Amino acid sequence: MSLLKEVAAELIGMFFGDARLTIAILLLIAVAGALIELTGIDPLVGGIVLILGCPALLIASLRRDSRAIAPMSRSAA
Amino acid sequence: MLIWSTAAPAVGAAFLASLVEVVEAFTIVLAVATLRGWRPAALGTGAALALLAGTVLLLGPLLNHIPLHALQLAIGILLLLMGMSWLRKACLRSAGVIPLHDEDAIFAAETAHLGGAVQRREARLDWIAGMTALKGVLLEGLEVVFIVIAVGAGGGLLLPASLGALLACVLVLLVGAIVHRPLSRVPENTLKFGVGVMLSAFGVFWIGEGFGLDWPGQDLALLVFAAIFLGAGLAGTAIARNPARNPVMEVAR
Repeated sequence: MSLLKEVAAELIGMFFGDARLTIAILLLIAVAGALIELTGIDPLVGGIVLILGCPALLIASLRRDSRAIAPMSRSAA
Repeated sequence: MLIWSTAAPAVGAAFLASLVEVVEAFTIVLAVATLRGWRPAALGTGAALALLAGTVLLLGPLLNHIPLHALQLAIGILLLLMGMSWLRKACLRSAGVIPLHDEDAIFAAETAHLGGAVQRREARLDWIAGMTALKGVLLEGLEVVFIVIAVGAGGGLLLPASLGALLACVLVLLVGAIVHRPLSRVPENTLKFGVGVMLSAFGVFWIGEGFGLDWPGQDLALLVFAAIFLGAGLAGTAIARNPARNPVMEVAR
């Protein structure tokens, strides 16, 4: 049972390492999908939103994480 | 016929990702073997590989019943989530915000943990050791299986991706058998950074394909996506390493 729990935790951890980043990515995918599927504009616009949005989300996440680290931890690292 | 220019990114991603995971699994198996001998280590590893093979044999045929666009979209989303997660962690480690993955420290911790457990339950020494090896190989192997399926299934490249993973296993086992110690000199964070870049690029590519989008340049778009994620990772690492130089953050503080 413990093994199954650890497998489940591993699987969840594989995809949902950071909850805020995960939610932001899923929202971005939803926006890109809506642009491609629901609007009459060039579908490539949705693709561009996705490929430019993801790196922007990554940088924003890293900036937020680096702000959250205590100065002692940073100097120790 | 297989076109290697198309298959190379899938093989490369599967190889590098598997290399990282197999090195981690090898550290645990080596700790078990050092403390209790190779028999329980081999039995645990064999059982884990059998479980993984069973999972693939059970779930693999189901993939053929899923419509291609739905499969590409689902795999793309999971790949993007996983790739961005790997990339984020690798950037934070590279920037010194969180500690690097240290195979020597993990080996020592695993050996101490196993040693303690063994002392408490003398009668079940080999069982505990075997289960430790099984768990380590199973947990790391699950990631390998997912990555191979994810980078291979969407484009009919399961076999080349599997070969990439197999090559990584053989390489780690060969080097491990020769040096007989944790492979701590493998530049694991750099590999994770590269794999994060590639998985994220694959993720965006498959999500677009899943939505029915024809990317300009077809498969070559993957290289552009990888370059974009690489640039973002490097920029993000620089920001995380020295947030004081980031004017937005100075204002925020």
